[in-house]
Amino acid sequence: MAEARSAQSTYLLIPIVLLAVLLSTAVIRGPNLVSSAGLGSAIIVAAPLIMATYALMSVAITGRGTVDLAVGPLLAFINVVIVTMNGLDLVTSPLGVFALALAIGIAYQLLFALVIIVVRVQPIIVALSGFLALSGINRVIMQRPGGVAPEWMAAWGKGDTIFSPILLLLVLATGGWLLFTLSPFYKHLRMMGYDERAAFTAGVRGNIVRVGAHVISGIFVALGAMCYTALISSGDPTQGTTMSLTAVTAVVLGGVSLAGGRGNILGALLGAVNLFLIGYVLATFNFGSVQAFVTQMSYGLILIASLLLTLLVPLVGRHISFITPFSAFMVLGVIVMTIILHVGMPLPEGASAVSTLGGTDAASRYLLLPMSDGSEASGFVLQPLQKLLLAVVVMLALGTVMMRVVTVEAQARRFGVFGHALVVGLLLVGLASVALYSLPSSGGLLK
Amino acid sequence: MSDTTPRIRSGAIGFVPKSTSLVVLNLAIALVVAAIGFGVGFGQGLPAQLVIVYTIVSAAGLFWAANYVASIFESRTAPTSTAISERTGGVRSVWATNRVLIVAMVALLVIYLIVTATVPAFRSISNLIAFLVLEVILVFAFKVSNVFVHGRSAFIGLIVLLALIVISAFTIKGFISPANVRAILLFASFLGIACAGQTLVALMGGLDLSIPFVIGAANIGLLYMISLGVPPWFAFVAVIALGCGIGFLNGIMSYKLQGQALILTLGTGFAVAGLVQIITSIGSDFGGNVFGKVPGWLSNLAAMNGKFFGLAVPPTILLWIAISIIIIVALRYSAYGRYVYALGGNRRSAKLVGVSELKYWLLAYILSGGFAALTGALLLGWSGGGFIGVGDPYLFTTLAAVVIGGTSLAGGYGGYGFTVIGVLVLQVLTSFLIGIGLKYEWQQFIFGLLILPMVALYSRSPHIRAQV
Repeated sequence: MAEARSAQSTYLLIPIVLLAVLLSTAVIRGPNLVSSAGLGSAIIVAAPLIMATYALMSVAITGRGTVDLAVGPLLAFINVVIVTMNGLDLVTSPLGVFALALAIGIAYQLLFALVIIVVRVQPIIVALSGFLALSGINRVIMQRPGGVAPEWMAAWGKGDTIFSPILLLLVLATGGWLLFTLSPFYKHLRMMGYDERAAFTAGVRGNIVRVGAHVISGIFVALGAMCYTALISSGDPTQGTTMSLTAVTAVVLGGVSLAGGRGNILGALLGAVNLFLIGYVLATFNFGSVQAFVTQMSYGLILIASLLLTLLVPLVGRHISFITPFSAFMVLGVIVMTIILHVGMPLPEGASAVSTLGGTDAASRYLLLPMSDGSEASGFVLQPLQKLLLAVVVMLALGTVMMRVVTVEAQARRFGVFGHALVVGLLLVGLASVALYSLPSSGGLLK
Repeated sequence: MSDTTPRIRSGAIGFVPKSTSLVVLNLAIALVVAAIGFGVGFGQGLPAQLVIVYTIVSAAGLFWAANYVASIFESRTAPTSTAISERTGGVRSVWATNRVLIVAMVALLVIYLIVTATVPAFRSISNLIAFLVLEVILVFAFKVSNVFVHGRSAFIGLIVLLALIVISAFTIKGFISPANVRAILLFASFLGIACAGQTLVALMGGLDLSIPFVIGAANIGLLYMISLGVPPWFAFVAVIALGCGIGFLNGIMSYKLQGQALILTLGTGFAVAGLVQIITSIGSDFGGNVFGKVPGWLSNLAAMNGKFFGLAVPPTILLWIAISIIIIVALRYSAYGRYVYALGGNRRSAKLVGVSELKYWLLAYILSGGFAALTGALLLGWSGGGFIGVGDPYLFTTLAAVVIGGTSLAGGYGGYGFTVIGVLVLQVLTSFLIGIGLKYEWQQFIFGLLILPMVALYSRSPHIRAQV
């Protein structure tokens, strides 16, 4: 059991490492991210995607290749219906809007589940059908983006503080799922997704489990639609396709198996956050007129790379089993925190950075200092000594991993030519780049 | 219902019935119909060579179809006596065996009566005919299609296609005018060529979602190369070769990830579309749009008023027909085709027999990429301007056509002939919906609702308790 669990969570390693890399890059490139307003708006922008990813994950676990491609159009459908109802003064109260969104989301997913159970066609075909029908009806209800969200929602989308109602929704959704994972129902769900026949033989009531998973997915979609409405504070029938494709990417990035049985809400969360960060990092580079195309290409390449990396996970997992996701998360978290603090703190010798300390209150002193806006590189400037230390630490870490892998490799030749060449090549490239980076500075220090 | 299905000796269906009298009868029917067509054609004052071509084609097609149907009926054995004795059970057994059919027909009747009672504009003779045709389709789909165990989806598709044409011809003025038929066929050929690769990939149990992106990328890429001064014919060939290259990448990367081919090809599509747009917009002020002059032969190839050796048929349609024939024949009779079915049907046993899975998987994806690029290039000839979004409608339409035709997405069952029927159904339906004045959104909505019942008619998986 323990072994199975660790095998399952090994897939979390990729999103965790990616998150560390992306977060450091994002903070270095655009330090505004770690201000109160920056984080607040980041949460609000990322929330619909996170919810859509949750929705995809909860049905992907049920197996049979259930990739609900219609999640984006469904989200847009709820959004459009809410805004239209608000425009007609039919449903405007918070309770009514929530009830409406939840009712639509659950009703659609219930229908989806019933079609799979009763009609017994492949889920992907049901999803395709739903995608086309919902995309069409969205445009019928609302020709072009427009309308206004309910008034009470206006404050939600401001994003000038971290603690917005959107964050509350996110925490509730994540916590709710984590509570759900404690129940036997969740065990049945995973069992059915992993091997439906075995689950049936063992007496799991597959139909009820399937309906349950879909209802949960419907709730997630409804919450996502609420976040989306708050974000754009109007209706938009056109973004469904993009949302679907991005959410599918996020699910894969988060290590959720589309074949069923393997899925983790933390993975889904990490996947969605990673995708958001990729967009954020790319936005800090100024590509001019090709910005959108570069983003599109990067999404594609990262999707491919993360899929190919999942092939390596069992391979690598055998060799570096001493790295658990938790420890990786802790170590990388410390490193990223250091970088954030370094970027966030005023430079000790920088002239431009001193003035900004004055206006901040005590609460934001530790993490959320306003940025020094003087220097154009926004301050990831290392002292020569720091550079040397960093280089030594990185070299030590890489050397340890390399020695470890080589030792294991010498003991058991299970790695295969491809995997061996890949890992060794990556290590060599890493070492060489670190050496090249640190040599001039250390030389300068020695001089 | 499957208990009462007459058994067909597998593999015994030929194209020629055994009894000579049936062949003669079919030939006579075909000749009589062709002669009537010949007379009507001259009566309308069409050019002589067109009339002759149509007469020959219709006679040959009718003869082949009649022989096919006759041989199917000939090869079924008589139902066993127990089956007959089970059938005689009065009203109760009629209800038991035809429950779904009766419920569906009554539901349709109720809907029709309600709509007729409430909407005065709906009361017309053409709507009555349409309603009756729909009821007949239901009866056919449930009763007669059981005879065709091995081509059930194709049979249902053909019936639906026929019904659509009949309904459209009654309700829409000028639906069967030559211009409209040509337009339907032209758009069907774009979709059909794009679907060729999707069908091959689906037969192997994969999916290719990079098709729309490759279409768009080929579209602007070709125009970009031409505007750079590359000889147009060479650019045309190069674009198709590049499409094959993308297909190769798709295949080699998804080989170990066959369960997730859907997502992987999506990723490749994103990357390719982004890359091509970056390349074409470097040094240009118009991000994403390419301007240039399309050579005359390329426009002629795909434009509505294109000519093929004097015949007023766009060459793209003929190209599609040629591609269809080659693929159908290759899938049916060549070793390649049989191995594709073998691998799609049972991967493990096919590999044990010694079929290289990698080779055929790669080949399917390479062809898919190549056909997608060809569609993109042809669409450039049709529109005359490069636009990356030209492939967007094909994202799920290719999948829908394959599914409606009856090719199983799990692999091993189906064929390109089915897809051709699916493509025609989709295209005629589109034309019908445009004809009655519905916008694109409504078409999409109706497509979505249509896919499910059509697939449910013939592609239901067994209950889990039957799989244990």
